[in-house]
Amino acid sequence: MSALLSVQGLTVRAGGKTLVSNLSFSIGSGERMGLIGESGSGKSMTAMAVTGLLPANISVTGSIVLDGEEVVGAQDKHLNRLRGVATAVVFQEPLTALDPLMKIGKQIAEPVRRRLAREMGQAPRVAVDREVLDLLDKVALPQPQRIANAYPHEVSGGQRQRVAIAMALACRPKLLIADEPTTALDVTTQAEILKLLDGLVRETGMALLFISHDLPVVAEVVQRVMVLRDGIALEEGAVVDVFANPSHDYTQTLVDAARMFDEALGRTG
Amino acid sequence: MTSLDLSTDRPARRHSLSLSIGLALVGLNVVVAILTLFWTPYDPLNASGGRLEAPSLLHWVGTDRLGRDYLTQIVIGARTALIVGTGAVAIGASIGVTLGILAAFATRLLDDVMAATLDILIAFPTLLLAMLVVAASDSASLWSAILALGLAISAIVARLTRILAKRVLRQDYIIASRTSGTSWLGVVVRHVLPNIWPTLSVNFALQFGLAVIAEASLSYLGLGAPPPNASWGRLLQEAQGTVYTAPVGAIAPGIALVALVIGMNLLADGLRDVGDPTRGRTR
Repeated sequence: MSALLSVQGLTVRAGGKTLVSNLSFSIGSGERMGLIGESGSGKSMTAMAVTGLLPANISVTGSIVLDGEEVVGAQDKHLNRLRGVATAVVFQEPLTALDPLMKIGKQIAEPVRRRLAREMGQAPRVAVDREVLDLLDKVALPQPQRIANAYPHEVSGGQRQRVAIAMALACRPKLLIADEPTTALDVTTQAEILKLLDGLVRETGMALLFISHDLPVVAEVVQRVMVLRDGIALEEGAVVDVFANPSHDYTQTLVDAARMFDEALGRTG
Repeated sequence: MTSLDLSTDRPARRHSLSLSIGLALVGLNVVVAILTLFWTPYDPLNASGGRLEAPSLLHWVGTDRLGRDYLTQIVIGARTALIVGTGAVAIGASIGVTLGILAAFATRLLDDVMAATLDILIAFPTLLLAMLVVAASDSASLWSAILALGLAISAIVARLTRILAKRVLRQDYIIASRTSGTSWLGVVVRHVLPNIWPTLSVNFALQFGLAVIAEASLSYLGLGAPPPNASWGRLLQEAQGTVYTAPVGAIAPGIALVALVIGMNLLADGLRDVGDPTRGRTR
Protein backbone atom coordinates (compact mmCIF):
# COMPACT_ATOMS: atom_id res chain seq x y z
CA MET A 1 0.00 0.00 0.00
CA SER A 2 1.41 3.35 -0.96
CA ALA A 3 1.75 6.00 1.71
CA LEU A 4 -0.87 8.73 2.09
CA LEU A 5 1.83 11.29 2.75
CA SER A 6 5.38 10.81 1.67
CA VAL A 7 7.97 13.47 2.41
CA GLN A 8 11.39 13.07 0.79
CA GLY A 9 14.37 15.33 1.46
CA LEU A 10 12.22 18.26 2.54
CA THR A 11 14.25 21.42 3.06
CA VAL A 12 12.71 24.74 4.06
CA ARG A 13 14.73 27.94 3.87
CA ALA A 14 13.83 31.50 4.77
CA GLY A 15 16.09 34.51 4.58
CA GLY A 16 19.30 32.47 4.28
CA LYS A 17 18.41 30.34 7.29
CA THR A 18 17.60 26.67 7.00
CA LEU A 19 14.53 25.90 9.08
CA VAL A 20 14.06 22.29 8.08
CA SER A 21 16.78 20.27 6.44
CA ASN A 22 16.56 17.06 4.49
CA LEU A 23 13.58 15.67 6.32
CA SER A 24 12.03 12.40 5.17
CA PHE A 25 9.08 10.51 6.56
CA SER A 26 5.85 8.95 5.44
CA ILE A 27 2.42 8.33 6.87
CA GLY A 28 0.22 5.51 5.68
CA SER A 29 -3.54 5.93 5.63
CA GLY A 30 -5.04 5.61 9.07
CA GLU A 31 -1.62 5.89 10.67
CA ARG A 32 -1.03 8.25 13.60
CA MET A 33 2.33 9.94 13.72
CA GLY A 34 3.80 12.52 16.05
CA LEU A 35 6.37 15.22 15.38
CA ILE A 36 8.02 16.42 18.55
CA GLY A 37 10.65 18.99 19.32
CA GLU A 38 11.04 22.33 21.06
CA SER A 39 9.93 25.69 19.72
CA GLY A 40 11.66 26.61 16.48
CA SER A 41 12.58 23.04 15.67
CA GLY A 42 10.67 23.20 12.39
CA LYS A 43 7.59 21.19 13.37
CA SER A 44 5.02 23.72 12.25
CA MET A 45 7.06 24.61 9.16
CA THR A 46 6.88 20.99 8.11
CA ALA A 47 3.12 20.91 8.62
CA MET A 48 2.59 24.12 6.65
CA ALA A 49 4.80 22.81 3.87
CA VAL A 50 2.60 19.72 3.61
CA THR A 51 -0.47 21.91 2.99
CA GLY A 52 1.53 24.07 0.55
CA LEU A 53 0.59 27.16 2.52
CA LEU A 54 3.99 28.59 3.35
CA PRO A 55 4.41 32.26 2.39
CA ALA A 56 6.06 32.90 -0.97
CA ASN A 57 9.27 34.22 0.61
CA ILE A 58 9.99 30.82 2.17
CA SER A 59 11.61 28.37 -0.21
CA VAL A 60 10.71 24.71 -0.11
CA THR A 61 12.73 22.01 -1.86
CA GLY A 62 12.47 18.26 -1.87
CA SER A 63 9.33 16.31 -2.48
CA ILE A 64 6.02 16.06 -0.67
CA VAL A 65 3.59 13.62 -2.18
CA LEU A 66 0.17 13.88 -0.60
CA ASP A 67 -2.52 11.45 -1.70
CA GLY A 68 -0.58 10.78 -4.88
CA GLU A 69 -0.05 14.45 -5.79
CA GLU A 70 3.15 16.45 -5.61
CA VAL A 71 2.72 19.50 -3.37
CA VAL A 72 6.10 21.22 -3.73
CA GLY A 73 5.98 23.67 -6.61
CA ALA A 74 2.34 22.90 -7.42
CA GLN A 75 -0.03 25.63 -8.59
CA ASP A 76 -2.33 27.10 -5.98
CA LYS A 77 -5.36 26.20 -8.06
CA HIS A 78 -4.27 22.61 -8.14
CA LEU A 79 -3.58 22.55 -4.41
CA ASN A 80 -7.00 23.97 -3.64
CA ARG A 81 -8.59 20.78 -4.93
CA LEU A 82 -6.24 18.74 -2.77
CA ARG A 83 -6.77 20.74 0.38
CA GLY A 84 -9.75 19.73 2.35
CA VAL A 85 -10.01 16.44 0.46
CA ALA A 86 -6.63 15.21 1.59
CA THR A 87 -5.81 17.35 4.63
CA ALA A 88 -7.26 19.67 7.22
CA VAL A 89 -5.51 21.48 10.05
CA VAL A 90 -6.31 22.13 13.70
CA PHE A 91 -4.29 24.97 15.16
CA GLN A 92 -2.76 25.78 18.49
CA GLU A 93 -4.72 28.94 19.29
CA PRO A 94 -8.47 28.32 19.06
CA LEU A 95 -9.28 32.02 19.35
CA THR A 96 -7.54 33.01 16.14
CA ALA A 97 -8.50 29.84 14.29
CA LEU A 98 -12.09 31.03 13.95
CA ASP A 99 -13.33 34.10 12.10
CA PRO A 100 -14.49 36.45 14.87
CA LEU A 101 -17.24 37.96 12.75
CA MET A 102 -18.86 34.79 11.48
CA LYS A 103 -21.29 32.61 13.36
CA ILE A 104 -19.86 29.20 14.21
CA GLY A 105 -22.49 27.30 12.25
CA LYS A 106 -21.74 29.32 9.14
CA GLN A 107 -18.01 28.69 9.44
CA ILE A 108 -18.51 24.93 9.63
CA ALA A 109 -21.13 25.01 6.86
CA GLU A 110 -18.61 26.29 4.32
CA PRO A 111 -16.41 23.17 4.09
CA VAL A 112 -19.50 20.96 4.49
CA ARG A 113 -21.17 22.63 1.52
CA ARG A 114 -18.04 22.26 -0.56
CA ARG A 115 -17.73 18.59 0.26
CA LEU A 116 -21.40 17.82 -0.41
CA ALA A 117 -21.21 19.70 -3.70
CA ARG A 118 -18.16 17.67 -4.61
CA GLU A 119 -19.59 14.34 -3.61
CA MET A 120 -23.21 14.64 -4.69
CA GLY A 121 -23.05 17.51 -7.14
CA GLN A 122 -25.34 19.61 -4.98
CA ALA A 123 -25.54 20.93 -1.45
CA PRO A 124 -29.12 21.47 -0.30
CA ARG A 125 -29.41 23.77 2.71
CA VAL A 126 -31.24 21.26 4.86
CA ALA A 127 -28.55 18.65 4.36
CA VAL A 128 -25.79 21.16 5.13
CA ASP A 129 -27.52 22.33 8.30
CA ARG A 130 -28.10 18.79 9.50
CA GLU A 131 -24.48 17.90 8.84
CA VAL A 132 -23.26 20.97 10.75
CA LEU A 133 -25.32 20.01 13.80
CA ASP A 134 -24.11 16.42 13.48
CA LEU A 135 -20.51 17.61 13.50
CA LEU A 136 -21.04 19.81 16.55
CA ASP A 137 -22.63 16.84 18.25
CA LYS A 138 -19.73 14.61 17.23
CA VAL A 139 -17.19 16.85 18.94
CA ALA A 140 -19.32 16.59 22.08
CA LEU A 141 -20.53 20.18 22.21
CA PRO A 142 -23.67 20.66 24.28
CA GLN A 143 -26.70 22.28 22.61
CA PRO A 144 -25.34 22.21 19.04
CA GLN A 145 -28.13 24.50 17.87
CA ARG A 146 -27.12 27.24 20.26
CA ILE A 147 -23.40 26.91 19.51
CA ALA A 148 -24.11 27.07 15.78
CA ASN A 149 -25.80 30.41 16.31
CA ALA A 150 -23.08 31.83 18.54
CA TYR A 151 -20.07 33.90 17.58
CA PRO A 152 -16.63 32.49 18.50
CA HIS A 153 -16.11 34.96 21.36
CA GLU A 154 -19.27 33.75 23.02
CA VAL A 155 -18.01 30.23 23.75
CA SER A 156 -15.11 29.04 25.91
CA GLY A 157 -11.59 28.21 24.73
CA GLY A 158 -12.10 24.48 24.95
CA GLN A 159 -15.36 24.74 23.02
CA ARG A 160 -13.67 26.86 20.36
CA GLN A 161 -11.08 24.14 19.91
CA ARG A 162 -13.89 21.61 19.53
CA VAL A 163 -15.43 23.85 16.89
CA ALA A 164 -12.06 24.05 15.12
CA ILE A 165 -11.89 20.25 15.15
CA ALA A 166 -15.45 20.05 13.80
CA MET A 167 -14.40 22.39 10.97
CA ALA A 168 -11.45 20.17 10.15
CA LEU A 169 -13.65 17.07 10.26
CA ALA A 170 -16.22 18.73 8.01
CA CYS A 171 -13.86 18.15 5.09
CA ARG A 172 -13.56 14.43 5.93
CA PRO A 173 -9.83 14.65 5.27
CA LYS A 174 -7.66 11.61 4.82
CA LEU A 175 -4.98 13.25 6.94
CA LEU A 176 -5.63 15.49 9.90
CA ILE A 177 -2.79 17.78 10.88
CA ALA A 178 -3.01 18.87 14.51
CA ASP A 179 -0.51 21.65 15.24
CA GLU A 180 -0.17 21.74 19.03
CA PRO A 181 -3.94 21.53 19.42
CA THR A 182 -3.83 21.42 23.21
CA THR A 183 -1.03 23.82 24.06
CA ALA A 184 -3.24 26.85 24.59
CA LEU A 185 -5.69 24.98 26.81
CA ASP A 186 -5.70 24.24 30.51
CA VAL A 187 -4.83 20.73 31.69
CA THR A 188 -8.38 19.41 32.17
CA THR A 189 -9.53 20.71 28.80
CA GLN A 190 -6.34 19.34 27.26
CA ALA A 191 -7.20 15.85 28.40
CA GLU A 192 -10.73 16.16 27.06
CA ILE A 193 -9.62 17.42 23.66
CA LEU A 194 -6.98 14.69 23.40
CA LYS A 195 -9.54 12.04 24.20
CA LEU A 196 -11.88 13.52 21.64
CA LEU A 197 -9.22 13.69 18.91
CA ASP A 198 -8.06 10.18 19.68
CA GLY A 199 -11.59 8.83 19.54
CA LEU A 200 -12.45 10.64 16.33
CA VAL A 201 -9.28 9.58 14.55
CA ARG A 202 -9.86 5.94 15.47
CA GLU A 203 -13.53 6.11 14.58
CA THR A 204 -13.13 7.75 11.17
CA GLY A 205 -9.91 5.94 10.33
CA MET A 206 -8.15 9.06 9.13
CA ALA A 207 -4.42 9.48 9.45
CA LEU A 208 -3.06 11.95 11.99
CA LEU A 209 0.04 14.10 12.01
CA PHE A 210 0.26 15.33 15.56
CA ILE A 211 2.67 18.14 16.36
CA SER A 212 3.63 18.90 19.92
CA HIS A 213 6.47 19.58 22.32
CA ASP A 214 4.69 17.71 25.05
CA LEU A 215 5.90 14.11 25.21
CA PRO A 216 3.17 12.59 27.38
CA VAL A 217 0.55 14.15 25.14
CA VAL A 218 2.16 12.76 22.01
CA ALA A 219 2.62 9.34 23.56
CA GLU A 220 -1.09 9.15 24.25
CA VAL A 221 -2.36 9.63 20.73
CA VAL A 222 0.20 8.43 18.22
CA GLN A 223 1.82 5.18 17.19
CA ARG A 224 5.00 6.46 15.64
CA VAL A 225 7.04 9.51 16.54
CA MET A 226 9.81 11.59 15.02
CA VAL A 227 12.04 13.84 17.10
CA LEU A 228 13.13 17.11 15.51
CA ARG A 229 15.77 19.58 16.61
CA ASP A 230 16.84 22.63 14.62
CA GLY A 231 15.10 21.24 11.58
CA ILE A 232 16.96 17.94 11.66
CA ALA A 233 15.34 14.60 12.37
CA LEU A 234 17.19 12.99 15.28
CA GLU A 235 15.32 9.76 15.47
CA GLU A 236 12.16 8.04 14.44
CA GLY A 237 10.32 4.95 15.55
CA ALA A 238 7.43 3.48 17.46
CA VAL A 239 6.43 5.56 20.48
CA VAL A 240 7.21 2.78 22.91
CA ASP A 241 10.73 2.23 21.55
CA VAL A 242 11.67 5.87 21.26
CA PHE A 243 10.56 6.79 24.72
CA ALA A 244 11.79 3.64 26.44
CA ASN A 245 15.18 3.44 24.73
CA PRO A 246 16.04 6.79 23.24
CA SER A 247 18.97 6.36 20.88
CA HIS A 248 19.84 10.03 20.86
CA ASP A 249 20.98 12.15 23.81
CA TYR A 250 18.52 14.89 22.96
CA THR A 251 15.56 12.52 23.09
CA GLN A 252 16.89 11.23 26.41
CA THR A 253 16.95 14.82 27.68
CA LEU A 254 13.36 15.34 26.58
CA VAL A 255 12.23 12.11 28.19
CA ASP A 256 14.10 12.92 31.39
CA ALA A 257 12.64 16.39 31.51
CA ALA A 258 9.13 15.06 31.06
CA ARG A 259 9.71 12.44 33.74
CA MET A 260 11.09 14.99 36.18
CA PHE A 261 8.13 17.22 35.54
CA ASP A 262 5.77 14.36 36.18
CA GLU A 263 7.54 13.43 39.39
CA ALA A 264 7.44 17.02 40.54
CA LEU A 265 3.70 17.00 39.97
CA GLY A 266 3.39 13.67 41.73
CA ARG A 267 2.11 11.96 38.60
CA THR A 268 3.25 8.49 37.67
CA GLY A 269 4.24 7.20 34.26
CA MET B 1 -17.66 26.34 31.69
CA THR B 2 -20.12 28.33 33.71
CA SER B 3 -19.67 31.38 31.52
CA LEU B 4 -21.41 29.51 28.71
CA ASP B 5 -24.78 29.64 30.27
CA LEU B 6 -24.51 33.37 30.63
CA SER B 7 -23.70 33.77 26.97
CA THR B 8 -27.00 32.23 25.88
CA ASP B 9 -28.44 35.70 25.89
CA ARG B 10 -26.45 37.97 23.67
CA PRO B 11 -25.63 41.23 25.41
CA ALA B 12 -28.28 43.72 24.39
CA ARG B 13 -26.78 46.22 22.02
CA ARG B 14 -26.87 49.53 23.73
CA HIS B 15 -28.83 52.00 21.78
CA SER B 16 -26.18 54.31 20.49
CA LEU B 17 -26.75 58.03 20.93
CA SER B 18 -24.31 58.95 18.21
CA LEU B 19 -26.17 56.64 15.84
CA SER B 20 -29.47 58.39 16.53
CA ILE B 21 -28.08 61.89 16.09
CA GLY B 22 -26.10 60.90 13.04
CA LEU B 23 -29.13 59.21 11.48
CA ALA B 24 -31.26 62.29 12.17
CA LEU B 25 -28.79 64.73 10.62
CA VAL B 26 -27.95 62.63 7.58
CA GLY B 27 -31.57 61.50 7.20
CA LEU B 28 -32.81 65.10 7.19
CA ASN B 29 -30.27 65.90 4.52
CA VAL B 30 -31.29 62.95 2.38
CA VAL B 31 -35.02 63.71 2.71
CA VAL B 32 -34.47 67.36 1.81
CA ALA B 33 -32.23 66.44 -1.11
CA ILE B 34 -34.81 64.04 -2.53
CA LEU B 35 -37.57 66.59 -1.97
CA THR B 36 -35.75 69.16 -4.11
CA LEU B 37 -36.14 66.84 -7.08
CA PHE B 38 -39.90 67.47 -6.98
CA TRP B 39 -40.44 70.66 -5.11
CA THR B 40 -38.51 73.70 -3.90
CA PRO B 41 -39.89 76.60 -1.83
CA TYR B 42 -39.28 79.03 -4.71
CA ASP B 43 -37.85 79.02 -8.21
CA PRO B 44 -34.10 78.70 -7.60
CA LEU B 45 -33.17 80.69 -10.71
CA ASN B 46 -35.47 83.71 -10.53
CA ALA B 47 -35.92 86.50 -8.02
CA SER B 48 -38.80 86.00 -5.65
CA GLY B 49 -38.30 88.96 -3.34
CA GLY B 50 -36.20 92.05 -2.68
CA ARG B 51 -32.41 91.95 -2.64
CA LEU B 52 -30.69 90.75 0.54
CA GLU B 53 -33.88 90.54 2.53
CA ALA B 54 -33.56 89.53 6.17
CA PRO B 55 -35.16 86.24 7.27
CA SER B 56 -38.96 86.49 7.34
CA LEU B 57 -41.99 84.23 7.21
CA LEU B 58 -41.93 84.35 3.42
CA HIS B 59 -38.20 83.81 3.10
CA TRP B 60 -37.00 81.82 6.15
CA VAL B 61 -33.35 82.48 5.52
CA GLY B 62 -33.79 85.70 3.54
CA THR B 63 -32.82 86.34 -0.07
CA ASP B 64 -29.53 86.72 -1.90
CA ARG B 65 -28.07 89.63 -3.88
CA LEU B 66 -30.28 88.91 -6.85
CA GLY B 67 -33.41 88.53 -4.74
CA ARG B 68 -33.58 84.73 -4.99
CA ASP B 69 -34.85 82.76 -2.02
CA TYR B 70 -31.88 81.63 0.05
CA LEU B 71 -33.47 78.54 1.59
CA THR B 72 -34.14 77.18 -1.90
CA GLN B 73 -30.46 77.56 -2.74
CA ILE B 74 -29.41 75.77 0.45
CA VAL B 75 -31.74 72.78 0.01
CA ILE B 76 -30.50 72.35 -3.55
CA GLY B 77 -26.97 72.62 -2.15
CA ALA B 78 -27.83 69.66 0.10
CA ARG B 79 -28.53 67.61 -3.01
CA THR B 80 -25.21 68.64 -4.55
CA ALA B 81 -23.34 67.79 -1.34
CA LEU B 82 -24.93 64.33 -1.15
CA ILE B 83 -24.21 63.57 -4.80
CA VAL B 84 -20.59 64.63 -4.42
CA GLY B 85 -20.05 62.75 -1.16
CA THR B 86 -21.72 59.55 -2.35
CA GLY B 87 -20.13 59.65 -5.79
CA ALA B 88 -16.63 60.38 -4.55
CA VAL B 89 -16.78 57.70 -1.85
CA ALA B 90 -18.24 55.16 -4.31
CA ILE B 91 -15.41 55.76 -6.76
CA GLY B 92 -12.81 55.89 -4.01
CA ALA B 93 -14.11 52.73 -2.32
CA SER B 94 -14.35 50.61 -5.46
CA ILE B 95 -10.90 51.54 -6.74
CA GLY B 96 -9.31 51.71 -3.28
CA VAL B 97 -10.60 48.43 -1.86
CA THR B 98 -9.71 46.55 -5.06
CA LEU B 99 -6.18 47.94 -5.13
CA GLY B 100 -5.70 47.43 -1.40
CA ILE B 101 -6.79 43.79 -1.51
CA LEU B 102 -4.59 43.13 -4.55
CA ALA B 103 -1.62 44.74 -2.79
CA ALA B 104 -2.21 42.66 0.32
CA PHE B 105 -2.07 39.48 -1.75
CA ALA B 106 0.69 40.61 -4.11
CA THR B 107 4.28 39.45 -4.03
CA ARG B 108 6.77 41.44 -1.99
CA LEU B 109 8.10 43.52 -4.87
CA LEU B 110 4.72 44.45 -6.34
CA ASP B 111 3.39 45.22 -2.88
CA ASP B 112 6.29 47.57 -2.18
CA VAL B 113 5.77 49.36 -5.48
CA MET B 114 2.07 49.78 -4.80
CA ALA B 115 2.65 50.97 -1.24
CA ALA B 116 5.18 53.55 -2.38
CA THR B 117 2.89 54.80 -5.17
CA LEU B 118 0.03 55.17 -2.72
CA ASP B 119 2.22 57.07 -0.27
CA ILE B 120 3.22 59.51 -3.00
CA LEU B 121 -0.41 59.97 -4.03
CA ILE B 122 -1.47 60.57 -0.45
CA ALA B 123 1.37 63.04 0.12
CA PHE B 124 -0.19 65.11 -2.67
CA PRO B 125 -2.83 67.39 -1.11
CA THR B 126 -6.33 66.17 -2.01
CA LEU B 127 -7.52 69.63 -2.94
CA LEU B 128 -4.53 70.30 -5.17
CA LEU B 129 -5.02 66.96 -6.91
CA ALA B 130 -8.71 67.74 -7.37
CA MET B 131 -7.90 71.21 -8.75
CA LEU B 132 -5.50 69.66 -11.24
CA VAL B 133 -8.06 67.15 -12.48
CA VAL B 134 -10.79 69.79 -12.72
CA ALA B 135 -8.44 72.18 -14.51
CA ALA B 136 -7.37 69.42 -16.91
CA SER B 137 -10.95 68.58 -17.90
CA ASP B 138 -12.54 70.78 -20.57
CA SER B 139 -15.03 72.51 -18.34
CA ALA B 140 -15.52 72.67 -14.62
CA SER B 141 -18.43 70.41 -13.79
CA LEU B 142 -19.82 68.51 -10.85
CA TRP B 143 -18.67 65.24 -12.39
CA SER B 144 -15.04 66.22 -12.83
CA ALA B 145 -15.01 67.31 -9.18
CA ILE B 146 -16.49 63.97 -8.10
CA LEU B 147 -14.00 62.02 -10.18
CA ALA B 148 -11.08 64.05 -8.84
CA LEU B 149 -12.14 63.62 -5.21
CA GLY B 150 -12.90 59.94 -5.80
CA LEU B 151 -9.38 59.34 -7.10
CA ALA B 152 -7.84 61.14 -4.14
CA ILE B 153 -9.98 59.10 -1.72
CA SER B 154 -9.10 55.84 -3.48
CA ALA B 155 -5.43 56.25 -2.54
CA ILE B 156 -6.31 56.68 1.14
CA VAL B 157 -8.77 53.79 1.09
CA ALA B 158 -6.30 51.55 -0.75
CA ARG B 159 -3.60 52.13 1.83
CA LEU B 160 -5.96 51.44 4.71
CA THR B 161 -7.40 48.34 3.03
CA ARG B 162 -3.95 46.97 2.35
CA ILE B 163 -2.88 47.24 5.98
CA LEU B 164 -6.15 45.88 7.36
CA ALA B 165 -6.26 43.00 4.88
CA LYS B 166 -2.66 42.05 5.61
CA ARG B 167 -3.46 41.85 9.27
CA VAL B 168 -6.48 39.63 8.66
CA LEU B 169 -4.56 37.42 6.24
CA ARG B 170 -2.05 36.51 8.93
CA GLN B 171 -4.75 35.02 11.13
CA ASP B 172 -5.04 31.27 11.63
CA TYR B 173 -8.63 31.18 10.46
CA ILE B 174 -7.50 32.26 7.01
CA ILE B 175 -5.01 29.40 6.89
CA ALA B 176 -7.67 27.04 8.28
CA SER B 177 -10.05 28.20 5.58
CA ARG B 178 -7.37 27.78 2.92
CA THR B 179 -6.49 24.28 4.11
CA SER B 180 -10.13 23.31 3.82
CA GLY B 181 -9.93 24.32 0.17
CA THR B 182 -11.47 27.81 0.06
CA SER B 183 -10.30 29.67 -3.02
CA TRP B 184 -8.47 33.00 -3.05
CA LEU B 185 -11.63 34.90 -3.93
CA GLY B 186 -13.64 32.95 -1.39
CA VAL B 187 -11.28 33.99 1.38
CA VAL B 188 -11.57 37.63 0.33
CA VAL B 189 -15.35 37.63 0.18
CA ARG B 190 -16.05 35.47 3.20
CA HIS B 191 -13.34 36.47 5.65
CA VAL B 192 -11.26 39.46 4.60
CA LEU B 193 -14.00 41.90 3.58
CA PRO B 194 -16.32 41.26 6.56
CA ASN B 195 -13.41 41.62 8.97
CA ILE B 196 -12.08 44.86 7.55
CA TRP B 197 -15.54 46.33 6.91
CA PRO B 198 -16.13 47.85 10.40
CA THR B 199 -12.95 49.91 10.12
CA LEU B 200 -13.41 50.66 6.43
CA SER B 201 -16.98 51.88 6.77
CA VAL B 202 -15.96 54.38 9.42
CA ASN B 203 -13.26 55.61 7.09
CA PHE B 204 -15.75 55.88 4.23
CA ALA B 205 -17.97 58.13 6.31
CA LEU B 206 -14.96 60.23 7.26
CA GLN B 207 -13.99 60.51 3.59
CA PHE B 208 -17.59 61.39 2.74
CA GLY B 209 -17.38 64.37 5.09
CA LEU B 210 -14.02 65.40 3.71
CA ALA B 211 -15.31 65.11 0.13
CA VAL B 212 -18.26 67.37 0.95
CA ILE B 213 -15.89 69.94 2.44
CA ALA B 214 -13.48 69.60 -0.49
CA GLU B 215 -16.28 70.14 -2.99
CA ALA B 216 -17.35 73.25 -1.08
CA SER B 217 -13.76 74.45 -1.24
CA LEU B 218 -13.57 73.80 -4.98
CA SER B 219 -16.85 75.66 -5.54
CA TYR B 220 -15.63 78.46 -3.31
CA LEU B 221 -12.62 78.80 -5.57
CA GLY B 222 -14.82 78.66 -8.66
CA LEU B 223 -13.68 75.18 -9.68
CA GLY B 224 -16.83 73.34 -8.72
CA ALA B 225 -20.15 73.05 -10.44
CA PRO B 226 -20.88 76.12 -12.60
CA PRO B 227 -23.48 78.64 -11.32
CA PRO B 228 -26.94 77.26 -12.03
CA ASN B 229 -26.06 74.34 -9.70
CA ALA B 230 -26.26 75.61 -6.18
CA SER B 231 -23.41 74.48 -3.96
CA TRP B 232 -22.75 75.43 -0.36
CA GLY B 233 -19.22 76.45 -1.24
CA ARG B 234 -20.42 78.84 -3.92
CA LEU B 235 -23.09 80.25 -1.61
CA LEU B 236 -20.39 80.97 0.94
CA GLN B 237 -18.27 82.65 -1.69
CA GLU B 238 -21.17 84.79 -2.91
CA ALA B 239 -22.07 85.77 0.64
CA GLN B 240 -18.52 86.88 1.32
CA GLY B 241 -19.04 90.38 -0.04
CA THR B 242 -22.20 90.99 1.96
CA VAL B 243 -21.22 89.21 5.17
CA TYR B 244 -21.65 92.40 7.24
CA THR B 245 -24.96 93.50 5.76
CA ALA B 246 -26.54 90.03 5.54
CA PRO B 247 -24.57 87.65 7.81
CA VAL B 248 -27.22 84.95 7.58
CA GLY B 249 -26.15 84.28 3.99
CA ALA B 250 -22.75 83.11 5.20
CA ILE B 251 -23.93 81.41 8.39
CA ALA B 252 -26.72 79.29 6.91
CA PRO B 253 -24.71 77.28 4.33
CA GLY B 254 -21.93 76.96 6.90
CA ILE B 255 -24.28 75.36 9.39
CA ALA B 256 -25.71 73.06 6.72
CA LEU B 257 -22.20 71.93 5.77
CA VAL B 258 -21.09 71.29 9.34
CA ALA B 259 -24.33 69.49 10.20
CA LEU B 260 -23.95 67.03 7.32
CA VAL B 261 -20.29 66.33 8.02
CA ILE B 262 -20.79 65.84 11.75
CA GLY B 263 -23.91 63.78 11.13
CA MET B 264 -22.00 61.47 8.81
CA ASN B 265 -19.20 60.97 11.33
CA LEU B 266 -21.63 60.24 14.16
CA LEU B 267 -23.52 57.82 11.95
CA ALA B 268 -20.32 55.95 11.15
CA ASP B 269 -19.38 55.80 14.79
CA GLY B 270 -22.77 54.45 15.75
CA LEU B 271 -22.85 51.93 12.94
CA ARG B 272 -19.49 50.55 13.97
CA ASP B 273 -20.71 50.00 17.52
CA VAL B 274 -23.79 48.18 16.32
CA GLY B 275 -22.16 46.26 13.48
CA ASP B 276 -19.33 44.59 15.33
CA PRO B 277 -20.53 41.60 17.40
CA THR B 278 -17.28 41.34 19.34
CA ARG B 279 -17.67 44.80 20.79
CA GLY B 280 -20.60 43.79 22.95
CA ARG B 281 -18.28 41.94 25.27
CA THR B 282 -16.06 44.87 26.18
CA ARG B 283 -18.93 46.91 27.47
